[in-house]
Amino acid sequence: MERIFGIDLGTTNSLIAYSDNGTPRVIPDPETQSPLLPSVVAFPSANQIVVGASAKPLATTQPLTTISSVKRFMGLGMEHVTAADREHYAFTDGDGIVRFRIYGRDYTPPEISSLILTELKHRAEAAFGEEVRKVVITVPAYFNDSQRQATRDAGRLAGLDVLRLVNEPTAASLAYGLDKTNQGFIAVYDFGGGTFDISILKLHEGIFEVLATNGDTRLGGDDIDRRVADLLLAAVPANLRSDPEIVSQATAAAEAAKIQLTDADSTSMELRAGSTHVVCPLTRADFETRVADIVERTLAPCRQALKDAGLSPADLDAVVLVGGSTRMPLVRRRVGEIFGRKPHTELDPEEVVALGAAVQAGVLSGGHRDMLLLDVVPLSLGVETMGGVMERIIERNTTIPTTVKQVFTTFVDNQTAVDFHVLQGERELANDNRSLARFKLRGIAPQLAGLPRIEVTFMIDANGILNVTARDERTGREQSIDVKPSYGLDDEQIERMLEESIDHAEEDVSARLLIEARNDGAALLRATRKALAGGAVTAAERAAIDAAIARLEGAMRDTDYNRIRDLTDELNQATTPLAERIMDESIKQALEQKRVEDIA
Amino acid sequence: MSSTPASVAKRDRAVWPAGEPISCWQCGADRSANLFCPSCAAIQPIPEAADYFQVLGVPRRLVQDPQALQQRFYELHRQWHPDRYQTGPQGARSASLRNTAAVNRAYSTLRDPVERGGYWLTLQGETLGANNNRVPPELAALVFEVQEKLEDLRVARGGNGSADLRRDIAAVHAQLLERKSVLLAQLDETFARWDTDAAEPAVLKRELKATLSALAYLGTLIRDVEKELES
Repeated sequence: MERIFGIDLGTTNSLIAYSDNGTPRVIPDPETQSPLLPSVVAFPSANQIVVGASAKPLATTQPLTTISSVKRFMGLGMEHVTAADREHYAFTDGDGIVRFRIYGRDYTPPEISSLILTELKHRAEAAFGEEVRKVVITVPAYFNDSQRQATRDAGRLAGLDVLRLVNEPTAASLAYGLDKTNQGFIAVYDFGGGTFDISILKLHEGIFEVLATNGDTRLGGDDIDRRVADLLLAAVPANLRSDPEIVSQATAAAEAAKIQLTDADSTSMELRAGSTHVVCPLTRADFETRVADIVERTLAPCRQALKDAGLSPADLDAVVLVGGSTRMPLVRRRVGEIFGRKPHTELDPEEVVALGAAVQAGVLSGGHRDMLLLDVVPLSLGVETMGGVMERIIERNTTIPTTVKQVFTTFVDNQTAVDFHVLQGERELANDNRSLARFKLRGIAPQLAGLPRIEVTFMIDANGILNVTARDERTGREQSIDVKPSYGLDDEQIERMLEESIDHAEEDVSARLLIEARNDGAALLRATRKALAGGAVTAAERAAIDAAIARLEGAMRDTDYNRIRDLTDELNQATTPLAERIMDESIKQALEQKRVEDIA
Repeated sequence: MSSTPASVAKRDRAVWPAGEPISCWQCGADRSANLFCPSCAAIQPIPEAADYFQVLGVPRRLVQDPQALQQRFYELHRQWHPDRYQTGPQGARSASLRNTAAVNRAYSTLRDPVERGGYWLTLQGETLGANNNRVPPELAALVFEVQEKLEDLRVARGGNGSADLRRDIAAVHAQLLERKSVLLAQLDETFARWDTDAAEPAVLKRELKATLSALAYLGTLIRDVEKELES
């Protein structure tokens, strides 16, 4: 049967894994050998797209056309975009879903994410030599309905059949549960690049039952990097402080320092801004003081989740750490303190979610018959009632799938449509919760007010995604219903994007080949100039080389990658005699040195 | 392939009243009250009318063994969970969704004694009703003390003596929890009497309603106090 793959679509890095006869394995990048694909999408020019390791350096040189951490924007509306976000990205202002503005074109977060998924898809296809279609994708446990829908849309846009969305901490527990006969209560603390989750599970004979979950979908390593970057930026002239290029460089330096401080006691950050060169030493103690409040923000959700599960720290049998941010010694210390035990770190915190996704993929394809995952809905779901109050219809931490039925009726005679507004969150007032969608029941037969009885079924499926259906209670007939997602894409928009992406598919491959050709050409040009500065060439050779350089440079300004390749070869040939002479020269030098040593 | 579960469940109890023959969505054979078709083994949807006891396949009574309920909950999920039918036909997928949603709702209601008692009353055509907001007489003194302390704390917030008040409220909180466990024990006792000797259902029903109302009232009060202690 068709293989199902597991994907961890992370804020900072993404991975793809598969189940090898019951053993989950990540698929490394064939070139870098790393399983981590940086979740970065860059647009070097209007019709070029680069994803992953080659896109990452562009974040500092072309910050406004390079999208990192797109996951933070999944399922969000423009009104959720902060001033800090605007320092890093260019947006198109308007209502509804977030739109990045790149070379005059709008890109929604699901579209950007689909480019990351496509890259992972290609990686797995290259590894297995077969088409990859069916996948399981992980999402933060605390993702709301809009964020989940956005992730599923990203999968669709990448041409994938998303069989299941699995919560990241739950996936991690599956990976941990594989090689142990774990029983009892465990806490999974998942602190990643952009999101934080805490899940409390009960493990019993292969059943992984989530009792409670909590978290923050906008809290992660990114926040720590920005805090540390502020240290550098404070020393930069005021007019450069919000320059996107400088902000990106400072953030990159901060991230590097954070990683070094995992093992080292002190490090130093550097930043060049205009004529200013900032050098900033940083000790681990100082770093920890500066970011302590960010780490503290993870602790209240931990307490709430324990309370919701009806447990105290002493009831737990194990605590598991997941996510790159849990490499920080401060995090490990604080988690150890709050749960009163040393957390487990045996599995690589950056791979464990992808491995768990592969285990779940194995379950869906009929393997691991003894294992079963019972997850919960992270946030309460309700409808807006008179006076702008949210009436809860599904409480948070309810095991999914779950169904609740409600009867709606009309308020005035001959009313033929009824609207309702679905919300998610824990607050009393509708406005304080997240709007998911507005529904309209249409085609109600005209009757006296209050007579029609439309039974609406709210169903949260095993993906944690809401499905709404309605029927006329009296006739039993399906009632038609229109859905307007508050911060999402409707089917029509997705269809249109899919059509466009087919048109662009060939262009995308060409774009990749062009970038590679330009990179190779640029590398040869640099090496040639360096050689010309040092080595002696005849006038004829020099003329031939100069001509080849001019032709290559001309071609590189254009987009014909085949021509760039040809002219790179030509320059390579023209410089061969020079290269050989330089080689001879260095051998002669080496020999001369030898002779001097011999004499001595 | 995955429409066939590892083992076809043999349900030992008549789940719902036998009526007209029910045919399997997949092969059309009469499957009666079986939840897996006896002819083609396909998963079948639970009827809408099944009550929570029927859904879980546990005896219809007020006293329930939490361990046994959990065991049933896990067993049914192993048979019916959507993960088992993900790559199967649409009919199997929707039956699996519907059945597991029913199991989840039934389990979350029956495992909690207060919810179970309330559900039992609705099955008898009764509701706890609107007198929910009235202070149950046996709690009146305690409620008065709690409200007074909470009000004092709100007034004194941050000022002198608020630490003392917090200590007082923590003590009241402990008292409330103790009261709750007494009421829960009382509920268990009423459950047991109902199951063994339903000679005076009217009396028992009244008793059940009073205890459940008191517990509901106490629940709200405890939540309020905890909110105040946390802030």
